[in-house]
Amino acid sequence: MLFILILLPLLSGVFAFLLSKNQQRKMVLLGTSFIHLIGVLSLWKSLPVAQLNGFLGMDVLGRLILTIISILFTTVSFYLWGYLKDEDNHSNRIFMAGLLIFLSAMTLVTMSRHMGLLWIAIEATTLFSAPLINFYRTPQSVEATWKYLLICSAGIALALLGTLFLAVAASKGETVFLDVLLNNASSLAIPWLKLSVIFLFVGYGTKMGLAPMHTWLPDAHSEAPSPVSALLSGALLNCAFLGILRVLQICAAAGQAAFARDLFLIMGLLSLVIAAIFVVGQSDYKRMFAYSSVENMGILAIGMGLGGIGLYGSLFHMINNAFAKGMVFLVTGNLYQIYQSKKISDIKGLLHYYPVTGIFLAIGFLAVTGVPPFGTFYSELMILNAAIQSGRYWVAFFYVLFLAVIFIGIAEGVLKMLHGGTKEQTANQTNQEDIRLIMPILFLGLIVLILGLYMPSFLDDALRESSKLLGGR
Amino acid sequence: MGLELALILIVFLGVVILGSSRLGTMIQLFAAQSLVLSATPLLVHPGKHAVVMAFVTVVLKVFLMPNLLFWAIRHVSIRREVQPLVGYGKTLMLGGFLIGTAFFISSKLDLPVEETSNLLIPCAFSIIMIGFLLLVSRLKAITQVIGYLVMENGIFLFALLLLEKTPLLMEMGILLDIFVGVLIMGIVINHINEEFESTNTIHLTTLRD
Repeated sequence: MLFILILLPLLSGVFAFLLSKNQQRKMVLLGTSFIHLIGVLSLWKSLPVAQLNGFLGMDVLGRLILTIISILFTTVSFYLWGYLKDEDNHSNRIFMAGLLIFLSAMTLVTMSRHMGLLWIAIEATTLFSAPLINFYRTPQSVEATWKYLLICSAGIALALLGTLFLAVAASKGETVFLDVLLNNASSLAIPWLKLSVIFLFVGYGTKMGLAPMHTWLPDAHSEAPSPVSALLSGALLNCAFLGILRVLQICAAAGQAAFARDLFLIMGLLSLVIAAIFVVGQSDYKRMFAYSSVENMGILAIGMGLGGIGLYGSLFHMINNAFAKGMVFLVTGNLYQIYQSKKISDIKGLLHYYPVTGIFLAIGFLAVTGVPPFGTFYSELMILNAAIQSGRYWVAFFYVLFLAVIFIGIAEGVLKMLHGGTKEQTANQTNQEDIRLIMPILFLGLIVLILGLYMPSFLDDALRESSKLLGGR
Repeated sequence: MGLELALILIVFLGVVILGSSRLGTMIQLFAAQSLVLSATPLLVHPGKHAVVMAFVTVVLKVFLMPNLLFWAIRHVSIRREVQPLVGYGKTLMLGGFLIGTAFFISSKLDLPVEETSNLLIPCAFSIIMIGFLLLVSRLKAITQVIGYLVMENGIFLFALLLLEKTPLLMEMGILLDIFVGVLIMGIVINHINEEFESTNTIHLTTLRD
């Protein structure tokens, strides 16, 4: 089963590359993502046993992240069906093939049970998402692609060095299989483990968009086509997060969790500061939401850094953020198709001219910034709770302060787009909106809303078991 | 003895890359460094594993990657770094300082694995730092890629320490990833050429806050 989930998108990607019509490739994408989703959901019945000499395997944490990826990917495939219609004269051959292989690489990330294989998979996600960012081939998108490729590759090279340090630390054991490492964690050489943790943090942290290594993220998210931005922030960043969580898992098993947690806290708070500085007064709406991704990655890191209920809260926030951010970036896709501009100042009176997109922009904004009743609110509250429970009042204070600043910063930008500009125009002129571009957004919005109102017991169990893996109770 | 000679040659070539300004020369020097590098697995642990590693390294790093880089700059008229961010004299000084740091750090490290040569770790660190220096101090896209590759060469050296323990499959996967990475970077450099009519990343400054 695991093997099929990796091979299916890979082979479909190659197949899509060989097809000659854009329409056919869209169908392959839709079909593959749908079958992939069914396969992933079937994993929830029981966890499959390890395969390929123990290189591939699945635990609750990997399954959780794979499910997020697969749901988001399928939704984006539906969205692309309507979104790509205008570009039909422009071949989507490389785009579609890249997208499918990207899915395959992300699937491999969640199934890797060997730290070297994990590295290979995460590097592969960088390589195959780069052509997606460069879809429009404008000077700006070429620039964003170059920065993304170079910064992430250099960062990931440090992670490779970190993996080798980890192998040195575990030199008494066989090789860096995750399960072997976890079982023999007490025999790890601690100085080398600490060194490897620092390198792995910096390396995978670059990919995750944690400050100060986040510089590629706003460029890549703003220049990529919006459906790709949705996948980058909702799926790709979570893959890198999983890489860091594996490191935390090893640290927790070796009794060095406190060391890793401090790193999480520092990087998390720094990410909030950076996001707060750049969100306020931002003139490009996609960059604004990209900095919101930096903020949310910071929140995830803080939750992990606090431990206790923070672990559960952080994992819950990961799910909420993936769908909320996916939703909001799809809304920006609608905006871009209507206005052909990414400037906030070019968009006015959205609620009046395009009421459906306008309402979804408002909802998406509330969902990403963590306003009740959306799930993001509850997960952010859990992390605040963890800070207070552990007696870290300074962390709690700055956390709330920066969240408030970022909320105000995004609110300012969104309100400018929603209102104004109606006076010059004749009244009651609303425009038709494409249902295919609305349904996927509605679907993602509903998920975040439902997660805020009701926590299904299977998800609660999965979150509990996953936080246990990371050293929680 | 042979291993130590190879290691010193690799660091020496790294320093020469740091001091050269012509893109073509840099690519050739990288190929030469990789050629020496490919011999090191055989000198550390002679065996089937090492032969495969050496063969794949020669194919990828000595032939395919340099040719790919030459392909990427085939239309570039200015084939030299015109204005480096940091001058050549300063980069060389800094490079020397970094090599010293690498030796100093390595002497402080307590290795739990058996060392084949006590030059291996300091040389690996030196090359990683030289690569990183190239990556951050130069502006040509192609020079940055060479910096990245030199850094990977250093990591390769460090990995020799664990040659016996690392599954061959992993090593092949890592090399394949790096190769695909260079392939995609080459294609993007081509796009940079088309869009900006220059491979100088100093033009890549429209995206900022």
